Amino acid sequence: MTLSIEAENLTKRFGTFVADDAVSFAVQAGETYGILGPNGAGKTTLIRMLTTLLPPTSGRARIRGHDVVSDKTAVRAAIGTVSQAVTTDENLTVRENLSVQGKMYGLWGRFLSGRIERGLKDVGLWDRRHQVARELSGGMRRRLEIARGVLHSPQVLFLDEPTAGLDPQSRHAIWSMLEEMTETDPDLSVVLTTHAMDEADHLCDRVAIMDRGRVLCEDSPENLKRGLATGERVEIGTDREIAPADRDAIVALGAVNWQSPVAAAAQFEARHGEAVGRRAAQLLEEKGYRVLHLTIAPVTLEDVFFSYTGHALREA
Amino acid sequence: MKAARGLKLAALGILAICQRSYVTLWRQPVLIVSTMLFPVVYLLILGNSLNRQLRALPIAIVDEAGNALAAECVRGAMALESGRDLLRIMPVADREEALRGLHRGRFRAVWVLPFGLSRQGPAPSFIGDNTDRFSFDTLADSLREIWDNAASAGAQARAAPAVRLEAYPYLDYLTYLAPAVVCLAIFMGSMVSGGLQVIEDRMYGYHEGYLVTPISTGTLVAGHILAGSLVAAFAGDVVLVTILVLAPIPAPGTAAVLSALLTIFLTSLAIASVWFLLFARARRASVLRGMFGIINALLFFPSGALYPVESYPGWLRAISDVDPLTYGLRALRDVLLRGGEPSVCYAPWLFLLTFTLVCGILTRVLFRREI
Repeated sequence: MTLSIEAENLTKRFGTFVADDAVSFAVQAGETYGILGPNGAGKTTLIRMLTTLLPPTSGRARIRGHDVVSDKTAVRAAIGTVSQAVTTDENLTVRENLSVQGKMYGLWGRFLSGRIERGLKDVGLWDRRHQVARELSGGMRRRLEIARGVLHSPQVLFLDEPTAGLDPQSRHAIWSMLEEMTETDPDLSVVLTTHAMDEADHLCDRVAIMDRGRVLCEDSPENLKRGLATGERVEIGTDREIAPADRDAIVALGAVNWQSPVAAAAQFEARHGEAVGRRAAQLLEEKGYRVLHLTIAPVTLEDVFFSYTGHALREA
Repeated sequence: MKAARGLKLAALGILAICQRSYVTLWRQPVLIVSTMLFPVVYLLILGNSLNRQLRALPIAIVDEAGNALAAECVRGAMALESGRDLLRIMPVADREEALRGLHRGRFRAVWVLPFGLSRQGPAPSFIGDNTDRFSFDTLADSLREIWDNAASAGAQARAAPAVRLEAYPYLDYLTYLAPAVVCLAIFMGSMVSGGLQVIEDRMYGYHEGYLVTPISTGTLVAGHILAGSLVAAFAGDVVLVTILVLAPIPAPGTAAVLSALLTIFLTSLAIASVWFLLFARARRASVLRGMFGIINALLFFPSGALYPVESYPGWLRAISDVDPLTYGLRALRDVLLRGGEPSVCYAPWLFLLTFTLVCGILTRVLFRREI
């Protein structure tokens, strides 16, 4: 398999602040790779180093074999980017934005027109090609950004928080679009940063979890979830606060990561969550508690993130 | 083959930047109006306010002499009042009262014809409001002329009048100002499409879209300078055409018009390169707002737009010598007002091209292709 991205000990310091600390990873051709982490984890800085917008302090990275420091032009020709910033000009029409972008990559004439038509049809904006970009909704504008990022058929597409700030409908539309894109071009590697667990879970073949500038773990979403000692998340609601002795009895059944979000409720994780949850509910009823609800849910990437960082993603 | 591909990419990159710059400007009518209208309004207001001959200036005449020579002086002043309408004569009997009126702003000058006024003396006294230098000088000269005429009437020998010829057809101040207004349009156009757009691109993140493309940094710099200069040149051309239609300039020939158009383009290139050099690293529009006044003062006024550069002090001449507007203005005046051949523009054109090249190279060195 061809490697699309090779990053070795990539480090970026701003003064004494270390934004990325010896980050290493590799992405295969055709792979969708997610970088998951909270704001300030170092995701955007990492993408900027890989897209030649920031020079690394140390370490090295290659995109399709081209070094991001010494062979920037080749790297730029190989990549497409959709950054967090809106880089389409709001005063230009949808089509004009792509026309300007295409010329920047040496596309011209009928060939460029054909690429624009195909790109806009792919993202569902062909009917709005004469509309000025500022009149588009946030979701449409983001789709235009993506069409712009892939207009020149890049080998590697970088998406920095592609669905940040969008409503659920727009998010799902972009997910579907990205899935179609990777199906149509099996060699296209996609690297996306996100702090949305469900997005990484849904789109990525592999996910790296980043926090405070370091990659904490990296694997497929399934393997990451499977790798946890816990299997499911259990929540039990009772008519009164669970006494410490009863809590210890439930922990003895195999419950871990005990939390009490409110006095009369308990949250914990367990490898065989359903069996442990039912036995815990039965135990509580035998002790005279009235069990109001019992919820058993599968472990999410959020739980994986918690297990590696010790804090929830939104608390970071 | 590789070189040809590189050239094609550079040409298309420059074309893309220019395309975006032009379309963006056309979609913002306020910018177009301010770019084109400001210089024309400037021409009309400044030209008309400075161009008009002085008229209806109130002066007090105190005739203490009451003799024939004084009557001759008053007749001369009345002729100026009824002819050129320069004066509004207020006869005042008392010198003190006239001076009080002067200090209260009722009169621009007091002309006292003293007791015993005669050719041998005493002569008339002129006391004028010198806070307004234009009126003061004009009144002093005009009244001295009246006295000279009255005093020399009947004299045996009069000096032969000096010969005064005008080398070119008569030009009023409004017309003299016209090429400067073209330069002002260039200045405004390049600021809007060059300086302002570069900073806005950085502020809003549009420039990220340029930075990650494979076109070279030199092409990015050249594209931005050319884009800024095209809009500026367009503004300059529109103002030039307006002036050619409105101002009483003798119809210039085709060569003169083509030379003027080329001068406008080269001046636009030079000014756009100044803006891009200044803002090669700026990230906030407040920088532009802060700099606009200073740059305007540094480029426009030392160029000789309003006053001949020969009259400047040494330090101002030094600024004028490296100011591209000086050369653009000189070339425009030479071909439009003085009917010069295109060859008179060669030296200014060479300066403007060299200036653009130097600014472009410096910008290339300063420009950081990073976020």
